[in-house]
Amino acid sequence: CFSSSAAAHIGVGISGQEGIQAVLASDYSFSQFRFLQRLLLVHGRWSYLRMCRFLCYFFYKNFAFTMVHFWFGFFCGFSAQTVYDQYFITLYNIVYTSLPVLAMGLFDQDVPEQRSLEYPKLYEPGQLNLLFNKREFFICIAQGIYTSVVLFFIPYGVLSHATQSNGVPLADYQTFAVTTATALVIVVSVQIALDTGYWTAINHFFIWGSLGTYFTILFAMHSSILFNIFPKQFHFLGSAHNTLGQPVVWLTIALATVICIAPVLAFRFLKLDLKPQLSDTVRYTQLVLQKKQKPCGRVGRGVGGG
Amino acid sequence: MGKKQAGTGPLSRRPDNSAFKQQRLPAWSPSLTAQTVLPTFYILSLVCLFLGIWLFITVENTYELKVDYTNAGTCERCFDLRKHVIASKTPCTCTVSFQVPKTFQGDVFFYYGLRNFHQNLRRYMDSRDDAQMVGRKNNLKAPSSYCAPFDYDANRVPIAPCGAVANSMFNDSLTVMYNPAVGSEIQVPLYRKGIAWYTDKNVKFRNPPTNDTFTLQRAFEGTTRPLYWQRPVYELDDTDSNNNGFINDDLIVWMREAAFPNFKKLYGVLNRAQGPFTEGLPPGNYTLYINYNFPVEPFRGRKELVISMVTWFGGQNYFLPIAYLVTSGLILVAAVVLTMVYVKVGKKGKNMED
Repeated sequence: CFSSSAAAHIGVGISGQEGIQAVLASDYSFSQFRFLQRLLLVHGRWSYLRMCRFLCYFFYKNFAFTMVHFWFGFFCGFSAQTVYDQYFITLYNIVYTSLPVLAMGLFDQDVPEQRSLEYPKLYEPGQLNLLFNKREFFICIAQGIYTSVVLFFIPYGVLSHATQSNGVPLADYQTFAVTTATALVIVVSVQIALDTGYWTAINHFFIWGSLGTYFTILFAMHSSILFNIFPKQFHFLGSAHNTLGQPVVWLTIALATVICIAPVLAFRFLKLDLKPQLSDTVRYTQLVLQKKQKPCGRVGRGVGGG
Repeated sequence: MGKKQAGTGPLSRRPDNSAFKQQRLPAWSPSLTAQTVLPTFYILSLVCLFLGIWLFITVENTYELKVDYTNAGTCERCFDLRKHVIASKTPCTCTVSFQVPKTFQGDVFFYYGLRNFHQNLRRYMDSRDDAQMVGRKNNLKAPSSYCAPFDYDANRVPIAPCGAVANSMFNDSLTVMYNPAVGSEIQVPLYRKGIAWYTDKNVKFRNPPTNDTFTLQRAFEGTTRPLYWQRPVYELDDTDSNNNGFINDDLIVWMREAAFPNFKKLYGVLNRAQGPFTEGLPPGNYTLYINYNFPVEPFRGRKELVISMVTWFGGQNYFLPIAYLVTSGLILVAAVVLTMVYVKVGKKGKNMED
């Protein structure tokens, strides 16, 4: 019946002896009715989880990135001067922060598949819209804004009066830009590390790789080779070496990271401790189970359960 | 079990049973348990505390002195004179006396400070031509359009260096004289070179090519000085060809725009070769002589001389140590609260279904 598939969230067709008409009109199709259980309880649930985490992180990292300009406006006469290097702005969303969140959106699992089948009640958050709703959205935004405040005002407080050990002041625009950009990339990388619940080798590669790529591109663009070809485009010559060679700058970045991440850790721990969801307890018991089974090898994993 | 197992047959379209496609990749599933989170908080608090104390002690060893000379001493007259553009060619000198209460040990750095001068406005920061200032012949006489209206003068002669940043270069001359208890005034000798970034001085700013017969003045022929300057760029330092033209240290220091409206830029380093300055700057009475050229009244700014000592950490900068100490305190409070919650109220992650 085609009207019911218009009212539903997804359409599932079973291809069988009656023909494939339903299959052509549906989002998912398979051959046996029993596969519906896995579609909903495993893949549907994981998909909902991944989408919600991905969305929240995406809003967070972009608010953290963009709102710094709002705070800088108060100090630059609202002239729309960007805080970061032009190329950093271009590459931030495309190169430096895209792959980790993509990996999380593809591979994340909160509980393994056999547990998902064992506890159908885990499906409830999806039905009740618990993982991403107006409240969760505002929390993500608020976290992004808080991060932007820290990422602007900590470097501002330190660098506006700082000097290098050779007396040259550190209060110049390019030093501030490099400091804030580096702090931003590190903070959002730590945040995705906290958000990722299932660390495959690909997640590791993407997260560490993105950080490594950031520093590589940073030093490449601030090098004299590119400057000598296009002086007007790559006018940040020498900034990376000069800025990131200062202990003050690294201390500032470390402090900004701690101030951004510690509240997140505290709130998540409190939430886990006071109001654990079913998925949290299942995950915890899975962890305990794995620790017990470690001497015997990894028997808890694999397709075996389902 | 590959796709090629059966081109036809009931299982021909089954996906691979690989770890990747069946989402069975080996992975680490971390969990925020109390055993990891609580020690982390306590350790973080401890680390921040140590860092804060260490940095605080380091900063305590530095000393900074500021002398606001906008309209102090006899500079009131110059301040009023500079309010009017017509008088901009009239020289004006003034003096300000100040006291140094305690010795500046070791290397002493002299800065000029400006308040309320926004070098971080977008149009201002765009108004420069880095290709011209790296000495390219094509760009020397064809400044970028970003420099407008400071690219050509009234007679369509190109300006070198073009742009608002170069045009507004700080042009006060500061001389500090020491008045010892016995004897006459001694000028405090300063190194006025070597105050810019290495990459700035050697790569980013280069003069147009010259040689023994083709002097710097001839290299700049066909260009004119910026509108607000008294001397052309090839006369910024006649005595040293390594400090003349675009590679003049003061020009380079000014062209490195400050991020915030209240800033200081390096003016000179104390020359400790001789006299009473071998150990640093002795305490006592000092007089600051100023060739007062830079007008600050139009933007309600202030000018000051800043004298500072530095350590490995830099000058006097209390923000970071205090921030670390405050953070350490807050994290400790959070850690204690979390511990109490965990011990008293928390459900300890027990399996909830039964």
